[in-house]
This record gives sequence, C-alpha cells and structure tokens, in this order.
Amino acid sequence: MKKLNLVWFQLITCNGNSHSFFNNNDFFSIIKKFNLIYYPLLETQYSYDELLTKNLNCDILIIEGAYKNGFEKFGYKIDEILLNYANKAKYIITAGTCATYGGIFKENDPNNISGFIFDKEQKTKRFDKFKNRVISIPGCPIHPKWLGFVLQMISQNKKIILDEFKRPKELFAYTVHNGCIRNEYFEWKVDTKGFGHKEGCMFYEQGCQGPYTHGSCNKILWNEISSKTITGTPCFGCTEPTFPKKRLFFTKTSMGIPKEVPLGVSKRAYLTLTGVAKSFKIKRLESKLIKDDS
Amino acid sequence: MIVKKIIEKIEGEAEVKYSFKNGAINDATINFANNRGIEEILKNRPPRDSLVITPRVCGICNHAHLIAAVKALEDGLKKNKIDFELTNKAKDIRDFTLFCELIQNHIKWLYLTIYPELFKLLNLKLNDSYALKASYVTNTITKAMAIFSGQWPHSSYAVIGGVSCDPTFIDIMQATSLIDEVITFFEKVLLGLDLEEYLEINSITNLDKLKGDFSEILYLIGKNNLATIGKSYDRFITLSDSKISKKSKVIITTKSDIELKFVKEHMQQNSQSKAVTYKNRFYETGPLARAMSIKEPIIKSMHKKYKDSLITRVYARVHEAVKLIKLAKDILVNLNINQDSCVIDSKIKLGDIEGIGTVEASRGSLIHKIKTKRCLIESYQIIVPTQWNLSNSLNEQRGVAIKAMIGLKDINKASLVFKSFDVCSVCTVK
Repeated sequence: MKKLNLVWFQLITCNGNSHSFFNNNDFFSIIKKFNLIYYPLLETQYSYDELLTKNLNCDILIIEGAYKNGFEKFGYKIDEILLNYANKAKYIITAGTCATYGGIFKENDPNNISGFIFDKEQKTKRFDKFKNRVISIPGCPIHPKWLGFVLQMISQNKKIILDEFKRPKELFAYTVHNGCIRNEYFEWKVDTKGFGHKEGCMFYEQGCQGPYTHGSCNKILWNEISSKTITGTPCFGCTEPTFPKKRLFFTKTSMGIPKEVPLGVSKRAYLTLTGVAKSFKIKRLESKLIKDDS
Repeated sequence: MIVKKIIEKIEGEAEVKYSFKNGAINDATINFANNRGIEEILKNRPPRDSLVITPRVCGICNHAHLIAAVKALEDGLKKNKIDFELTNKAKDIRDFTLFCELIQNHIKWLYLTIYPELFKLLNLKLNDSYALKASYVTNTITKAMAIFSGQWPHSSYAVIGGVSCDPTFIDIMQATSLIDEVITFFEKVLLGLDLEEYLEINSITNLDKLKGDFSEILYLIGKNNLATIGKSYDRFITLSDSKISKKSKVIITTKSDIELKFVKEHMQQNSQSKAVTYKNRFYETGPLARAMSIKEPIIKSMHKKYKDSLITRVYARVHEAVKLIKLAKDILVNLNINQDSCVIDSKIKLGDIEGIGTVEASRGSLIHKIKTKRCLIESYQIIVPTQWNLSNSLNEQRGVAIKAMIGLKDINKASLVFKSFDVCSVCTVK
C-alpha cells in the first residue's frame, strides 16, 4: 500500500507538541508507516523554505499551534499556505490545545487567535468545510502516545470514533481522574493539605480539574511512567476548551464543595454523597501511607 | 550584496540577512518572527498561575522556565521578610529534574542540529542513526525526570517552598536505572570510554583518549579547518550560582562579580525579540560561559588554544552534558527522602511582592521577574539566553553571534557558527 504523505505544520506555538511527540519510544516505527514530508525536529525530505513555497504532497496534515487570521512569518502568508495543505489533506489532526481550541496563546489576542475549527467551545468559520476530516487531540502539550495511536489507526485504515469536539472517544471518553492513584482520598473527601504528600486528593482545595477533564493521562501514563496527579500536582484541565482558566491552584467552592463537580454528576447527587462520605472519619486515610513502625 | 536565509531546526526559525563585502560577511541582522505575548498573558492573573503559564514559553526548555518562575515567587516572599529555607531534598529534586532537561537539550542539539549541519557542510552522508540516538537519550532521560515532575514537557511540579512530589525509594531506584542507561549510552556511544576516565581529562593533550561520536565531531571540525572559526568577543556572563556555574562575568580569562541591576533589554528594529546587555555591552552566555565561570580545567585548556571559537563552544556543551549526568546520578545516590518536600503553606498570600528568579537553562542564564499588586501579577519580565547570544547590533556594537560570523565567506559555515550557539527562536519571541 502506498504510504500517506505526512506534513507537520506549525502556527503560533511553543514547539512543545513536536517535542512531546518525539518522546514516543516507538517514534520511528510510527513515522516509518508514512512518507514524512516535513517535521520540525528532523531532517526531512523538504526544507522549511520548500514547505512554504512549494505545493508539496499532503495526505495527513498535523497542525501544531494556534490559528491567527492573516498570520505572516518572514513575509509568507502562513494562514493561506496552511489552508492550501488543509484543502488537500484527507486527515487533519489538530495536535495540542492551541491548534484545537486556541489555548494559551489565544489569551494574547482573543479576537484573532483560535483553534483551527474550534474557538474555545465555539465553531470557527472553517468548521463546516473541514469538520469531516479533522481529528482533535487536545492537550498542552499533546500526549505523545495519543498522537501515536491515532496515526497508527489511520495507517491501518481503522475507524476512529469521535465526539462532538472531534476527539477520539477511545482517548477522551475518560477523565483524567480515571486511574488516578489518589482516588481513594477522593471517594472519602480527604484533602491533601498542601503539596509534597503521597496522601490526599487535590480536588477540594488545590484546584485539581481531573474529575471533569477529558483525557486518559492516568490510563496511558506520561513518559510511560507518571502523571501530574500521581506526583502531587493538580490537573490544570489542559485538554479542555477552557484552558487556561484563572486561579489554577485554587478550587472554587460553593456550599463547602467544589463549584465544578465531576463530569456528568448532578450537583445534588454530589452534595449528598459528599455529606455522607465526610460524616465518616477513615483513620487509615487520615494517616501517613508509609510509616516505619519497626 | 545582501543574502537572506531562513535558518531552521533551531527551535523554530530565524531569518538572517547577511551583508557581503569583498566576498566575506561583514554584517548580519537576525529576525525572529511572531511574538506570542506571554508576558502580557500573565498580567492580572494570580501569581501562582505563572507556574503553569511560563513553562509554555518553550517546548524544549519549559522546565527551566518553571524553576525560574518559582524562584521569582520565592524571592518575592523572602524580600517581604517571610523566612524559609527549602529542604535539601526539594533543592536536590529540582536540580535533578533541571539537569535531566539540560541533558535532553544538549543531546538533541548535538544529534539533531550539529550533526546534520556539519555533515551537510562537508558533503558527507548522514545515516539515520543520529536521530535514533537523540530519541533514545531523550526518551530515557525525560522518563527519569517524569518520576518526580509527573511529565515532560510542561510540568508544574515545582511549587512555592519545594516540590509537589514525595518519592519513595522505589521511585529513586527506577530513576537511577534510567540514569544508568544514559551513562551507558554516553560511555559506549558518545565518549567511547568510561565516565570517570573521561572526567579525568583536564587538558587538550589528553583528548586522544576520546573515541565515539564526540571524537568524530571534534575530528571533523579540526580536519576541515573549522576549529578556529566562530570567535566573538571572548566575553562571558553567567547570572546564577549552581553546581555548574558561578555568578560572574569573564572577559578573556579575568573573572569579576556582577549585579543583576545592570542587565538591560533594548528594543530592536525588524525583530520581535529584544537585545540584552550588561552595562551596555554584549556577552556570551551558555555552557562555555558557565565553564569559564568555574574555571573548568578542560575548557580552560581548550580556550587557551582556541579562544571562544566554534570548537570550544561545541566542546563545552557536550562536556557539560557529561558532567550533568554524573551530577544527576550523585543526587539520586545521596537523596534523603525523609525530609519534607515542601515547607510553605500552599495558600500563602502573594499580595504585593517583587521577585527575581535566575536559573541556568541549557542555552545560558534565564531571568524571570515578577511584580504583584493585590494578589495579581502587575508585570512579568522574561529574559532568555538567546537574547544575549543572538542580539542584533546596537550602537555600532555587533551582537555576539553576528560578530562570530563576520569574515566568513561561506553561508553554510556561518550557519554552523550560528547553530553552535544553540539558538532557541521560540524562547526569544516569548
């Protein structure tokens, strides 16, 4: 079978997605399945100059970075060049939160900067034209494995089931909370009491957004070994259209419970459950996990 | 005659306009495009948000930005008479993760930037293994780092007063194994000799012991008369004390103290980045400057013969990666996991503070300055290493990299010199 031509195209970005994807330990076996036209970290068939000036083959377009109307770089009309490749591509992957929703760099010029087909939760004017070809893989940065899996599914011609934001359900039907090693503390509403502890949940005071953030960070681990919440850092909701919210290390509360409740759970249900859980004191969960009793 | 060229694979791209006179470069201007406005984005946010936003300045040195950001907040608290001292455990873990990121950077620079550029210049065929090598080291070292930081890129695990993680001995063991893997790579592939044996080399007369990729690069540079190109002002600056640096400036070989208040940014025409000077003079920053600041014997020996040329710059960066892997291993061996990870209450008020954080990032010294008012960021300033090295000319004084390229006749050679500074165009247009 003829290999699909893959173009990695950067807009307004920190390069974090290119570096994150390179962190795949099977990086080379993944890209071997494609004809790599351009990728910013490696010597590829064509130079950056050629990417901008020649009309290169493109079956899969990976977009990294936020979209800006009339974006120019070194005198080139970058947005027009991008649209030319997008028109040709069979698949368009928006790699990372900037390319998907606008992300952090949108904050600098909210009226002109957005994702490719989404502007936070809204659709951009490009949505109708490209909606059937776009696959969104948000994350700041993109999780290397998630992109690796999607590319492999494309190379095997597998159907990728997508949700309303064009995210693959196999990756984004989960929340970051799923698989978090602090779940027991979440169940019994035991806060972590500051940073630097193995014990406790960060949902109640430290701003963790894991229970309502789409992503499988705790199912498919970062760097194959860990995640933010495992190492005691809150989830900042970096895969969501709302990223970055303000007051990222702080949980807003209402009636003593987090204002934003776990995904799909009603406030009433959550409040009731919290009241019950909090009425019990579980001694084991209030003490240090590892004590040397010898 | 003016020749324009886009230089790529430098963490983004830069456009260089070379002026030629009598067949040689007599001036150049460097243009970094599209400013992303991170300093503006931070305004009016709660100060702690800087720990999440600033790593996003850069995909390859995000961790250095995190450490600079947290140090700026801590400095602000200390200036407000809040007395605290990080535990050795927290300091060591921060050093460890930072060193891992530096090694990742240096190795990517060697295999993904210098190797291809040098081979292209010399018309040699490059096989694909160079990228595989970069991938192996990068994956292994960032995995070791993520045991503490949760992930790389874009972790926010360094919090005010320490770190968010509380590792177990099993975590340390896993990280140690991964560091040992990288040491093995260094010994078998990069150096062709044992780590300890390499670190004993303190004079260029002993460089014949070197084998492996490092010796290949040095041999190719030497054999093709490239060793002495790329000389600049022979002036170096390092803005922080660390295990690999001493806060100082070094002019040729004379070292003296510095004060951060003399560091100044200047607007530049035709570029989205600002120039930076110390007492209105340009200085080189980076691994070579750091090595000069601590009088590293092998670099002193190299500098004595070659000054601040291409070969000294290349040597200093690879040498630093080797030193760092040893330091990273030592940290793990001596880490006391029984101390507190964090000594500051996570809700401490950051009402009106003014702080500076400096850190040694892979390309040189990095500065973050924060000023808050009523618990919101009033101003945030970031000065990145590439601004030092890649400034354009200012008041008749040429930028460090521009000076290093003057006199060269071949644009490809100039490009190699340019890349020897390990440019980060992404950071520069923060």
